[in-house]
Amino acid sequence: MRHLLDSIYAALAWLAMAALAAAFGIIALGVLARQLHWDIQGLDGYAGYAIAAALFLALPATFQRNEHIRVTLLMEKVSERWRRALQVWSLIAASALSLFLAWSCVRLVWMSRTTHDIAQTMDATPLWLPQMSLAIGAAGLALACLDATASHLAGRSFFKHAPAGEAARVE
Amino acid sequence: MDALIALLLIVFMLVVLGSGLWIGLSLLGVAVVAMQFFTERPVGDAMVLTIWGSTTSWTLTALPLFLWMGEILFRSKLAEGMFRGLAPWLNRLPGRLLHVNVIGCTIFAAVSGSSAATCATIGKITLPELDKRGYPDRLAVGTLSGAATLGLLIPPSIIMIVYGVAANVSIAKLFMAGVIPGVLLALLFMGYIVVWALRHPEQIPAADAALTLRQKLHEGRHLLPVVALIGLVLGSIYTGVATATEAAALGVAGSLALSAIEGSLSRRVFVDGLASAARVYCMIGLILAGASFLTLSMGFIGLPRHLAEFIGGLGLSPFVLMVMLVMFFIVLGCFLDGISMVVLTMAVLLPTVEAAGFDLVWFGIFIVLVVEMAQITPPVGFNLFVIQGLTQREITWIARVSMPLFWLMCAFVLFVYLVPGTVTWLPGLMQ
Repeated sequence: MRHLLDSIYAALAWLAMAALAAAFGIIALGVLARQLHWDIQGLDGYAGYAIAAALFLALPATFQRNEHIRVTLLMEKVSERWRRALQVWSLIAASALSLFLAWSCVRLVWMSRTTHDIAQTMDATPLWLPQMSLAIGAAGLALACLDATASHLAGRSFFKHAPAGEAARVE
Repeated sequence: MDALIALLLIVFMLVVLGSGLWIGLSLLGVAVVAMQFFTERPVGDAMVLTIWGSTTSWTLTALPLFLWMGEILFRSKLAEGMFRGLAPWLNRLPGRLLHVNVIGCTIFAAVSGSSAATCATIGKITLPELDKRGYPDRLAVGTLSGAATLGLLIPPSIIMIVYGVAANVSIAKLFMAGVIPGVLLALLFMGYIVVWALRHPEQIPAADAALTLRQKLHEGRHLLPVVALIGLVLGSIYTGVATATEAAALGVAGSLALSAIEGSLSRRVFVDGLASAARVYCMIGLILAGASFLTLSMGFIGLPRHLAEFIGGLGLSPFVLMVMLVMFFIVLGCFLDGISMVVLTMAVLLPTVEAAGFDLVWFGIFIVLVVEMAQITPPVGFNLFVIQGLTQREITWIARVSMPLFWLMCAFVLFVYLVPGTVTWLPGLMQ
């Protein structure tokens, strides 16, 4: 079970990397196309879908590596008992919020599909297709949050710590 | 809506953030609760539509690409080459190689969007080299942590993209607005090193062997790759050939080519850089997604508008308002990172800022400067964390040796307030 869940998060992270590389490819193609006077329409839209996919699909893996930032000032100051309580509260709140987010994203895909919603930009993509990445990523995050909560309550470890210095290069 | 609800919401937000719930989810949660209780609208649909709109924006695309570029360069030999190229030129200047910290950070800032990445990349080369030659470590560390904050001010800059997206200001203009203040601040830091070195000449070690001009120029060739990269990224933005997003893609292509040529681009390095960029973007993106819905939710409730009316009613002069904002940000910076600070402020304070008559490009540079100061003040200062990782010293010691540079930045904020032209002149030249 542990192995299966870890593979799901890792697979989604690989998809996120592919999406980020795709965003780069799309924009580079746009620059090239303008120089060579090719007429390719709707690239801006695709770049947007790609970075949204990169963001959402990476959510579970980033969460598992404990790289989403939080305010730790209070947690570091209080006693062990309070720290545990704050951690349980954070995990439960995160699970509830991510479930709500995942449910809303699935609803968004379903509504775009049934109303045949099409992008207003040049690409005119049926929106439910790129929106799938939001639903999958958000569902992955909800799964990871529930996984973390269950692991914490059962006394098993869930978070994988990044090598030193890795998480710090954020801004 | 009355003042009590506004106060209640702000306190609620601080409690949720302080409780340790991940910041992006905190912003999202506060927005959901506020909308559920104080408006009649369907929360879930409004939430995902806002998030979908904000996370697919063309402007935002520049952000992950600049992050990726930084990750590639962090894994390349660029900083090593910069040290070798710069060092021979600095022997005559009082303070000698300490200036490599400042000049190195300034140059690297022009290809990197983040202060902590600049700090890590430059520091891992300069700190051991300066230590080996016997330079005073409190000055070596202090100038590094101060100068690395230029990573935020000198374009490209992640935090400027975040601000530009939140305040709806042109990223290209913000980038150009940061150039002159960035160079001036670097000169100010160098001036500080010169003055310190003249007052304590005995603490500055002897120069390395002098080179002839010919040899210096030959060593200077190590600077060519970084100069070419700067020209590619900033040149294309300034001349209007590329938008900020396209310039970011050019930057990624350029950095990949550069590390391929110098032979440091293995399959592993490529995958590590991409994976790291994807996760850092994910971390920032979750905060941005939460903040975009918080902005919508606060807007529905009317909190920012009421706050603007309240502050406007106090009749404060712009100067007093600015001083209050600086103090507010420094307090906020004690427990929040810069990006969260910017998005939270924009969600609540944008109408106040507009009503006070601040130019939004100028205000963007102002806010970046204040975030820079927060970067080197404990307990939450990312540069302090990075240097702690590099040197294994106490964070309080690192903060103490960074203090002189903190005060210089305070003075510089005042200067930028008195001479706003330093910020607005260059972007004014662009079409």
